[in-house]
Amino acid sequence: MIEALLVPFAYEYMVSAMWVSAMVGAACGLLSCYITLKGWSLMGDALSHAVVPGVVVAWVVGAPFAVGAFVSGMMAAGVMSFIRSRTRIREDAVIGIVFTTFFGAGLFLLSIFPSNLRLRTIVFGNILGIADADVVQMMIVTGIVLAVLAVRGRDLMLVIFDPSHAKAIGLNPGLLNALLLALLAAMAVAAMQAVGAVLVIAMLVTPGATAYLLTDRFGKMCGIAAGLGAGTAFAGAYLSYFLDGSTGGTIVVLQTLFFLAAMAWAPRHGVMAARRARRVAMTARAAE
Amino acid sequence: MTWLLAPLSHGFMLEALAVGTLVAVTCALLSCFIVLKGWSLMGDAISHAILPGVVLAWLIGLPLAIGAFAAGLICAIGSGMVKAHSRVKEDTAMGVVFTGMFALGLVMISQITSDLHLSHILFGNILGIEREDLFQTLAIGTVSLVLVGVLWRDLQLFCFDPGHARSIGINVGRLRLILLVVLSGAIVAGVQAVGVILVVALLITPGCIGYLLTDRFGRMTAIAMGSAAVSTVVGIFISYHANASTAGSIVLVLSGLFVVALVLAPRHGLLALGRARRRALASDR
Repeated sequence: MIEALLVPFAYEYMVSAMWVSAMVGAACGLLSCYITLKGWSLMGDALSHAVVPGVVVAWVVGAPFAVGAFVSGMMAAGVMSFIRSRTRIREDAVIGIVFTTFFGAGLFLLSIFPSNLRLRTIVFGNILGIADADVVQMMIVTGIVLAVLAVRGRDLMLVIFDPSHAKAIGLNPGLLNALLLALLAAMAVAAMQAVGAVLVIAMLVTPGATAYLLTDRFGKMCGIAAGLGAGTAFAGAYLSYFLDGSTGGTIVVLQTLFFLAAMAWAPRHGVMAARRARRVAMTARAAE
Repeated sequence: MTWLLAPLSHGFMLEALAVGTLVAVTCALLSCFIVLKGWSLMGDAISHAILPGVVLAWLIGLPLAIGAFAAGLICAIGSGMVKAHSRVKEDTAMGVVFTGMFALGLVMISQITSDLHLSHILFGNILGIEREDLFQTLAIGTVSLVLVGVLWRDLQLFCFDPGHARSIGINVGRLRLILLVVLSGAIVAGVQAVGVILVVALLITPGCIGYLLTDRFGRMTAIAMGSAAVSTVVGIFISYHANASTAGSIVLVLSGLFVVALVLAPRHGLLALGRARRRALASDR
């Protein structure tokens, strides 16, 4: 029995998949706290679709995919902020227009430059078949994101919670927003290779949302989200060996289950706790 | 002239033009409500969330469209429930629910060996559309158009001023549900015909083009439907001649129209706004 459970650890590719997933999961989880509080949940969605034309162009000119993806993600973010600040169109619509345009351009380019790029790999990722060079790339990106968060995390948090105070003490909110956007794009690119464009969105939203239900303190929230991200990613990669299927899918299903559990049973912000509080309030009123 | 006529000699091109235009016009009409309501990314969420429904329907032998429709509706209602019963923001709730459902679909699809083509579901294939899908798309499109037509005034009021709508006795909750149902139906019909990304674009961009060009709702819907139909036809022609992705071509033409509107719109365009600013500055001086 135990031997059967340990089988995945006997394969080197499984072990590396589990560790790489866990690291990406932790970094995404940490970043997701900033993103959910900032209200940028769908920005991750947009950026992870917007990288596709960059990947194709990078393939055509022979540049590293990650560079093309990052540049194209940042371009999309730039176009979004330009249109939003100049017109009366709502933010969500602007995001939608820009990312569909970029993704459409990606489809178009992919179809006129016949390549061995598979849209499937971009959209669904493939952690089990990941090349060593990609692993190194992912580690570097993840390391940079973590380092930046370690150094500027407090400033970012301040800008999110209280922009006017941040400005008063001499921080530049515009610059820090751009920094957060760059981190988001970099992380989306790194994680995309592991779990694919669609599921990146979950990794960049769900752990933060779950932690937000469980605590009111930002430090704890970050810890919970990073732990959840790492744990679910590790466990998801492990389970996918037995399920013989989609690693990214398994990871995200686990994350969603944790979110639902937190929504039901979170000590103060859960559905059960709210119901209990209501009941207590009612009996208190009845007693009077 | 032959450039125009050559594609028309193929039956599948005619079908693609007809289905594409109908889907485009339906989505464009809905996009006007969606853009005003701030539901732009609902289309994105629903269109991904249909995946587990499709797989489940395939497993138990139901028509795929029914599974897709049910899953889409569950996503829309589920996001609303998560938002109502927890303190997460609406966009976060939507993100959690739709990615969770999509992931579930991926896990399910990896467990079954089927002739379900994932790339077919997600990216659509308007040039190779099956006959029964064709009828389904036509039926759903027509029903959606008729429903919106019947409820025209109520829906308009619901989008612009829900408080007023409620006060004159309109059941806002039911109207919201109807709009979500029509939206899910249109998405299911559209995804089979043209793919996820094009549906998402068609549910946002035409409405924004209309919104930039006019302040009247009736005109806005007309402009939206017109621009969606034009881009579909032009996009299909371009994809035929350039041998390029149909969905990609249509999205690019549509976005091109949006950029034109963005720059040149008479009152809300970038040039007009710049002009107004300069004039204000000059009169200040």
